[in-house]
Amino acid sequence: MSFEGLPKGSCDKKRSFRDSIYLWEVLRGLGVTAKHLVWNILHTDQMPTMQYPEEKRVYGDRFRGRHRLMQRQDGSPVCVACQMCSTYCPADCITIVGAEHPDPKIEKYPISFEIDLLRCVYCGLCEEACPCDAIRLDTGIYEIAADSREKFIVDKEFLLDNHTDGTL
Amino acid sequence: MAKLTIDGKEIEVPDGSSLFDACRDARGEDLPHFCYHPDLSIAGVCRLCQVEVEGMPKLTIACNTGVRDGMVVHTRNERVTKASTQILEMHLINHPVDCPICDQAGECGLQNQYMSHGLYDTKVEMDDKVHKGKAQVIGPHVILDQERCVLCTRCVRFCTEVTGTGELGIFNRGDQARIGTAPGVELDNNYSMNTVDICPVGALTSRDFRFQKRVWMLKAADSICPGCATGCNVRIDHEAGRIYRLKPRYNPEVNGRWMCDKGRMTYKAVHDETRLGDPSVDGRTETWAGVTGTLANLVGAGGFGLVVGSPHQSLEELHLLKALAKDAPLSGGLAGSDHGDADDLLLDADRTPNRRGLEMLGVAQHDGPALADLIKRSSGPVLILGGDPAADPQVAAALGEKDSVIYIGTHGDETAGLAKVVIPGAMWAEKAGIFVNRNGRLQEFKQAVARHGNAREDWRILAELMTACERPDVPGSLKAVRSDLAGAVAVDVDLNKLPVRGFLPGGEAR
Repeated sequence: MSFEGLPKGSCDKKRSFRDSIYLWEVLRGLGVTAKHLVWNILHTDQMPTMQYPEEKRVYGDRFRGRHRLMQRQDGSPVCVACQMCSTYCPADCITIVGAEHPDPKIEKYPISFEIDLLRCVYCGLCEEACPCDAIRLDTGIYEIAADSREKFIVDKEFLLDNHTDGTL
Repeated sequence: MAKLTIDGKEIEVPDGSSLFDACRDARGEDLPHFCYHPDLSIAGVCRLCQVEVEGMPKLTIACNTGVRDGMVVHTRNERVTKASTQILEMHLINHPVDCPICDQAGECGLQNQYMSHGLYDTKVEMDDKVHKGKAQVIGPHVILDQERCVLCTRCVRFCTEVTGTGELGIFNRGDQARIGTAPGVELDNNYSMNTVDICPVGALTSRDFRFQKRVWMLKAADSICPGCATGCNVRIDHEAGRIYRLKPRYNPEVNGRWMCDKGRMTYKAVHDETRLGDPSVDGRTETWAGVTGTLANLVGAGGFGLVVGSPHQSLEELHLLKALAKDAPLSGGLAGSDHGDADDLLLDADRTPNRRGLEMLGVAQHDGPALADLIKRSSGPVLILGGDPAADPQVAAALGEKDSVIYIGTHGDETAGLAKVVIPGAMWAEKAGIFVNRNGRLQEFKQAVARHGNAREDWRILAELMTACERPDVPGSLKAVRSDLAGAVAVDVDLNKLPVRGFLPGGEAR
């Protein structure tokens, strides 16, 4: 490292004794910390820290949380496996396998519908792309935890069931 | 020659050509159309290709109008575009607009025309539409959706004019008109899936491809159908290592725009459960390193006692096989193998893609007894490259007595069961090469998907065997094999740069 560009005299100022032992500055710093500690203990209601998970932040109605698949009245998925969502998905996290539906009016339905929640970026483009309003990110769930990567790949039954707790 | 002015552009076309083709040449793109097809008769039913010809009181359809010297034509003025938009709107009145579940979506004429000539707001409520039959199975390969049909009659004309079977027809009139088959009649000819290709909408779709993949996800590779000696030019549609369908590729010298249903199903063998994925010695699965050692012990500098090729292999592989055999007896496999019924359209009785290639290289084929005799008289290891010659019982018996048979194959067939060393080779869709079709046309196929399991390209396996036999000039690339092959077959073309439509030695029509 070179000091050539530094202004002359910035480094060679003679320190006083108080500065050279540092102790005074250390104690002054501790004083600042102690002042905040005491103030916070006396004013807990004004502390900026949120007491998560006992206390939760309120999000807007348009917050995009974990996905769900919409159901028909008989409980079967509204999805017709057109794969618009998986086509538009920038994270490539949706895998759909279509199959012949016994009802010729429905014709096609997803025999498997998987979303990899670890790959998903929650951009909501799948909602936008869906021509049937079959997929929504309106559950508001953002606490997604599991103990293995495989459990983050959620299937059709899970997405239809629309869980509200954070377990996978 | 006739001189026309189309959209202010002067163009000269041969006398007697259709105004539709002249407009395409002048515009650089097709007029909007459904019913016009270059290989079928003119029906003039869709009315979409209307143009304004100066001197004619009304708009006229370009497909059914001949060119005349001095004609002045407008294809893009307001009168014409308004007419085509209105005609398209009429076509779409009873269309169910079920694109999300339609297999044609992405390659649909209706979608394309709407985006380029439509873009109007619909005036018809969904409930007011006329409903017709959905998802009707009309044959072993084709499924019909009558609601999506625009009644262009391409499929009807195809079945009448090309196959001559006439299964399809239009029933009823007006908005009740629908395509269908007569009671008890099935669309069951060997070219039925061409109706799926020419259907501009999703009315006729393939049962094999139904709901398998959305078409925009597919990637394409140019290839040659290995189903028979005709060598139809095909496009392999594949994605993520899986082949989903074969589509014909236009080649006026070979197959035109058609291909047969049998050929379309040839891709299924690539993903067959009996595919060989690993080399094996005496039935034990081996690594490539292990099998190379076994081969070196088995073959050595002495070479082979007999080498058997097959007409299923590419020209390059057979050439390399010939070099590998050197002084050993060489057979082109079973003479009468893989034959079936022929028709006078495309399907050949010879169901192998490269029997002419064997002839070109001067490799003789043998019938069952002769090949069995060759195997019995051979001294040294027997190398078999594809073709499953043990399907013939006499050959199987002769091979059963041999203890050092090396088989380079693709499936777990009879020969694989009898061989000591089985080496997994690549199938046609997994490698590049050249087939010689029944007329002697050299046509190149390209690799579409990754090789199954640990299979290798056959030329690489043969090159490895050449190393094991301590032969000089072992080729390092397919390009090198082709350069060497060009000298052997003496054709006046660079085999590494074959024309798209293939090369016919001696007589090129164009």
